[in-house]
Amino acid sequence: MLEIKDVTISYKERPTVKDFSLSLKQGKICSIVGESGSGKTTVIRAVLGLLAGGGKVTKGDILFEGKSLLSNTKEQWRKLRGTDISMIFQDSGAMTNQTRIIGNQFVEYIRTHKNMTKKDAWDMGIQMLERMRLPSGDNIMKSYPFQLSGGMRQRVGIAMAMTFQPKLLLADEPTSALDVTTQAQIVRQMMELRDEYRTSIIVVTHNLGVAAYMADAIIVMKNGKIVDAGDREQILNHSQSDYTRNLLDAVPSLGGVRYV
Amino acid sequence: MFDEKDMILEAKHVTRRFPASNNRTLVACNDVNLKLYKGKTLGLVGESGCGKSTFMRFLVSLDAPTEGEIFFHGKDITKMKGETLRQNRQKIQMVFQDPSGSFNPKMKIRDIICEPLMNFGRIKKSEKDAVAKKYLELVDLPADFANRYPHNMSGGQRQRIAIARAIVLEPEIVVMDEATCALDVSVQKTIIKLVVKLQKEKNIAIGFIAHDLGLIQSFAHQIAVMYLGNIVEVIPAEDLNARAMHPYTKALMGAIFDIHMDFSKKIASIESEAPSPLDVPDGCPFQDRCGHCTEICRQKRPLLAQMEPGHEVACHIFGKKGD
Repeated sequence: MLEIKDVTISYKERPTVKDFSLSLKQGKICSIVGESGSGKTTVIRAVLGLLAGGGKVTKGDILFEGKSLLSNTKEQWRKLRGTDISMIFQDSGAMTNQTRIIGNQFVEYIRTHKNMTKKDAWDMGIQMLERMRLPSGDNIMKSYPFQLSGGMRQRVGIAMAMTFQPKLLLADEPTSALDVTTQAQIVRQMMELRDEYRTSIIVVTHNLGVAAYMADAIIVMKNGKIVDAGDREQILNHSQSDYTRNLLDAVPSLGGVRYV
Repeated sequence: MFDEKDMILEAKHVTRRFPASNNRTLVACNDVNLKLYKGKTLGLVGESGCGKSTFMRFLVSLDAPTEGEIFFHGKDITKMKGETLRQNRQKIQMVFQDPSGSFNPKMKIRDIICEPLMNFGRIKKSEKDAVAKKYLELVDLPADFANRYPHNMSGGQRQRIAIARAIVLEPEIVVMDEATCALDVSVQKTIIKLVVKLQKEKNIAIGFIAHDLGLIQSFAHQIAVMYLGNIVEVIPAEDLNARAMHPYTKALMGAIFDIHMDFSKKIASIESEAPSPLDVPDGCPFQDRCGHCTEICRQKRPLLAQMEPGHEVACHIFGKKGD
């Protein structure tokens, strides 16, 4: 359903991501891992046409359900974003307006994409929040973003992203800012979304444990290039790349290496 | 497992209450008793808001507990004032989580590293070059970094500078507050190795805050698990995997994503969120999220009881009835 073909992305003539390819089927999860600055986020922003600071796809093509995304007009993007393709950010609290309650923003978002009354949109919001196991959805709709904990905010973000049951969900470090316990909950819920709605997910993360747990396929990036790609088993146990092995080696593990 | 004569710092019954709105109080640390030993690392683990940073800030005298004492070589540092306190700060230093936020962006690395020494008049201006060079080498950075500014460096390099700054005064204790969590795993590994190397060379006691049990058990000697201001388990790090007992410690361990885990199993996690520290329930603080909760857990707060030497657990299910 999503096909990224030999894409090169440049910021101001300087290529940041080179010859990146990825192909994702319905209901599959792909993780992109790599160190900071390796271009992971740039790739998924390109899928949504949201490259910051004058970034451009200079080579290759991105196909979503057979259609190229690169020639989309503003209007076409508007139809696609938030309905067929959604995104979750590292801190969903930062994408919301701090001075408005969650409910207003949720209702605004729903009504942008669908013709319905405020009352219906409000109820739909509550329903989505409760589906993400947030207790008392009505309370949360009436809260300001800063009144919620990091885990709750992230769940609000996911609830919003899932409202229109997107075919593709892009998650940019969705759990990096969370505690391990909350991280486990969020990861599990994202996996359930896949099982329930057959949503395809691309997760960008630097946590190799999370990447390995969630993904059917893993892509390892370094300096804007793919250094390794394959299914979980292959990357974790039979990688040919030294870089991947070093990265895996550096992951602290319970009962693993001790330096003292 | 630790020699009592190597104990350099002891926190006794440390409690910190913060006033909150509507006449409520927030108990950030409740009756915390911990010890630091020469050349050993104490890892303090817990979820955000559990009071781990609050506790470590007492050690560097950035804050003082409401009740309780902290003895450093037999002297209570919570009562120190003025010049004694200032002089004492040389012995206990700190490394912060965000290496870019803890430097003055307009100071060169040379000045950053030497500032603590200049403050205490321990070196002359003319010696700065030599000192900066020595400590840059100690943290495995090239000597010409002395002329750089913090923004010319990567996160890992900056964290090395922060470590260099913390050890120039030859402190006996270094407190590290999530010192590696802003870094990539590969960089994190090299920093941990550096910390361990320096600890061995200089026999420093380290208090390390983290939320990643996997990381902390790779280099700590002793691990304390904190939940809502209470220490629920203290365990030697090498025993963590095999002998951890408290349900909360186990929950934390179960929630770790490990590349060696069994991927067919669902990840275990506690479904609920930690209650607000403003209304910690009576009895065991963990009662509402615990699968083994019984009547006594709702009535009486369990106290730390020794299971084995160096291993203490605060939980009713392990026989001791909390007295």
